[in-house]
Amino acid sequence: MDYLALIAYGILNMLFVLLVSPLFISLIKIVKAHAQKRKGPPLLQTYRSLAKLLKKETVYSSNSSWIMRATPLVNVAAVLVASLFVPMIIIPQSTDLVGNIILFLYLLAMAKFFMALSGLDAGSTFGGMGSSREMAISALIEPVVIVVFAAMAFAFKTINLPDMFRSALASNVLVDPVIILISISLFIVIIVESARVPVDNPETHLELTMIHEAMILEQSGKNLAMMELSSAMKQLLLMGVLINILVPWGLTADFTPQAILISLGAFLLKAVILAVIIGLFESSCAKSRLFRLPGLFAIALFLAIITLIIEVFA
Amino acid sequence: MLEFLFPLGLAAFFLAVILPLIGSKLGSSKATRQAALIGTIVACGAILAFALEIVFSNKSFSLLAYQITPQFQFSFLVDRLAAFFLALIAVVSMAVAIYSVPYVEHSEHEGRKNLIVSFMNIFIVSMVLVVASFTMFSFLFFWEIMALSSFLLVMVEFEKKETQKAGIFYFVMTHLSTLFLLFAFLFIYTVTGTFDMGQIRAEPLITSVAFVFLFLGFGIKAGIIPFHKWLPYAHPASPSNISALMSGVMIKVAVYGLIRFLLLLPMQTWWGILILAAGTTSAVLGVIYALKEHDIKRLLAYHSIENIGIILIGVGLYVIFSLAGFEAIAFLALAGALFHTLNHAIFKSLLFMTSGSIVNATGTRNIEEMGGLIKRMPKTALLFLIGAVSISALPPFNGFVSELMIFQAFFQSTVLANPFLEVILISSLAVFALTSALAAACFVKAFGITFLALPRSEEAKEAKESPKLMIIGPAILAALCVALGVLSLQLFSVLGFSFPLPNMLFIGALLSGFYVFTFAALREVASRRERIAETWGCGFPTQTSKMEYTASGFSEPIVTILKSIFRTQKKSERNYYDDKGVIFKDGKAEIHLMNFFEERLYMPVANIVRKVSLKVNNLQRGDVDLHVAYAFATIVVFLLIIWWFA
Repeated sequence: MDYLALIAYGILNMLFVLLVSPLFISLIKIVKAHAQKRKGPPLLQTYRSLAKLLKKETVYSSNSSWIMRATPLVNVAAVLVASLFVPMIIIPQSTDLVGNIILFLYLLAMAKFFMALSGLDAGSTFGGMGSSREMAISALIEPVVIVVFAAMAFAFKTINLPDMFRSALASNVLVDPVIILISISLFIVIIVESARVPVDNPETHLELTMIHEAMILEQSGKNLAMMELSSAMKQLLLMGVLINILVPWGLTADFTPQAILISLGAFLLKAVILAVIIGLFESSCAKSRLFRLPGLFAIALFLAIITLIIEVFA
Repeated sequence: MLEFLFPLGLAAFFLAVILPLIGSKLGSSKATRQAALIGTIVACGAILAFALEIVFSNKSFSLLAYQITPQFQFSFLVDRLAAFFLALIAVVSMAVAIYSVPYVEHSEHEGRKNLIVSFMNIFIVSMVLVVASFTMFSFLFFWEIMALSSFLLVMVEFEKKETQKAGIFYFVMTHLSTLFLLFAFLFIYTVTGTFDMGQIRAEPLITSVAFVFLFLGFGIKAGIIPFHKWLPYAHPASPSNISALMSGVMIKVAVYGLIRFLLLLPMQTWWGILILAAGTTSAVLGVIYALKEHDIKRLLAYHSIENIGIILIGVGLYVIFSLAGFEAIAFLALAGALFHTLNHAIFKSLLFMTSGSIVNATGTRNIEEMGGLIKRMPKTALLFLIGAVSISALPPFNGFVSELMIFQAFFQSTVLANPFLEVILISSLAVFALTSALAAACFVKAFGITFLALPRSEEAKEAKESPKLMIIGPAILAALCVALGVLSLQLFSVLGFSFPLPNMLFIGALLSGFYVFTFAALREVASRRERIAETWGCGFPTQTSKMEYTASGFSEPIVTILKSIFRTQKKSERNYYDDKGVIFKDGKAEIHLMNFFEERLYMPVANIVRKVSLKVNNLQRGDVDLHVAYAFATIVVFLLIIWWFA
């Protein structure tokens, strides 16, 4: 096996996710602002906020423990490892070191586990509320995610994400109905996991509706920057899974500069379109009550199970 | 070497049983207790070395100890499967023995301390001998010793009402288990004419009957739903070192029994479906009940039910896949189940021991009265966190690897090409995923409410870190949680198995590498200024523990979403001064939690039994003549029966 190429892939992919992910946070904000006839923030605003947070002092609660200090680092580390699992522009050669889809999911779960603990650490009511709701929602979405992933594993005959992308690319069917069903469920998963309307509202602070923002309310300075960065990266990773399964066109397995540039351009274009769709979707619906959410998840679960059943009978 | 280690272990156990009992005669009973526990540690070391030798070399060891008649003999055969379970028993018992040295001294009664140590050793050695047994006769004999010794250990604080209830519950359930096993063994004996485990050959119908009895017997002992009720009673009532043994090890012995007999009997697909269904139900209901629980030891008891469910899911998949002819997937599922058995033994004992330390330090089992313990008991907190992370199946810890193996077996279920099985497997997969996520939610609650933020009671504020040995015991298991997770792939390859699993050593190294890298990068790039301030108290001058989120509050969203399972009934009544219902006078509200299985299953059965016994009671007048007449009548009836058949 060519380890050098694998390492090059790892570094490139990780840097890409690290550097590009904040862009889509601002982009979705801009789309939402335009939908409300506002101008919205500049495209580079998220980078500026992160830079500003890094320069600020970090405030810790006197109640909090080392969990509060470790959580941002655990989050970034877990998401960085997860970023090796989702090839964005180059598909690496087949390897069993990275790419296991269940491990990918549980790396994200690990980040979430520590984030929920840090929500309880400062002893504020808001943090606890956020943790409690986040864990409830993540428990309910989990069956959906696993069944969607199982459907993907069935459709592509592998449990390795890069291999899935490779066979999606090689497939000569332009639009496969099974993949469309999977994509709808995956889209719902993205909405849930990146804390968007109607599940959560990323814009509010100190409101009773918030979930993700409540958990990280006590984080500040560089720690807050790390939390924001890791959730931006997580969002891009999930978007990458959806894009490279539904429309893998342009994705490349060659290490030539030309192919990489084309692939980069293609991915950015597709991701911008997806971000616009997410923004429009968010603008078109209202935040729903917490106890209404199981209905939304049931739709996704239903579609995923239908996919599996089609797979079996086909 | 093997011939030497096994008897050495048994002899050391024998000493450890005897020493505390004669301790008071020898002078210092504290010294003899400690000597006995050192004996336990030596014994466990010997058994562990013995078991590991067999596991790694794949040899087997047999020993005929004693025979009453050629049919009724105590003979032992340790093959790789038995040795695996022996290693599990030995390693957990060793850690528990270390923990017990200071722990047993907490009791106020000198005599009881001696009894706990002595019975604990009987309990451990009986589990060792159950697993090592070759004949069903010796299996059942030591099974019953295991049941009785653990019952006595549950009853240590017998004067408490709660303990009495738990004890009776446990006694009845554990004997139902023994009874079903007795039925199964006698049934097999009458059909095959031998107690020898290796020689069970019979018709499918006959083995099915035997399987149902065995499944009930082992299922009750393992605590699968609906036979689980003894776990949440017995665990809080017994001392924590005993809970660690019962939950960590004893219920695994039942798993051993089930797997052992499944491998002996010719399997059928419906057995697999039954095991899978029972496993899925136990897993999801176990974790759902755990979420609602605020008694730390009951919470852990319900998680044992959940994890037994996960193990059974793996076993069920093994049966289904192996009958469909997919040996590789079947073996992956079975290995996942066995690995999860080991992992659960390790992290559950770790959690029970650390929660025992917390209960000792705070004097309560209610997590709503804890909080802030991470600052007061930092080492215990770290150990509990490792256990919590492992049981929540987060990478790269051991719980994750075993659940991953079961997930991967599920993911390959399309190969079955049987729509009926397919639908069952997909539903089970979805429920299994839900279970795993709910477990994480539950342990965020358990760790967060117990250890983080401000203390919620005076006792929690005054809590002190536990003695050194009560840290070292669990620490061994915590180290194993990490090692078994990170080195899983290497371990399997040493044992000669190759599973398509990710290399957790690589993932673990990456995770810690990125952690350190981010830390260092932040030190260089970001501002290093720090300030300690108070959490915002929502406008109040200072923030108190009353403002913290409670455990009930934490689980409220899930409880509300799943209210049909909890069967919560909220009743409220309002009285008004006027007839339009505007001016509120007074009212009352109540929340009724239904103990579904107790009210709908256990009590009706118990009532029927009671009614029948009352009828039978009429026959017994306490009159000697009458009883002699009964005995005479019985003999006559038997003679008539024998005459009839002859």
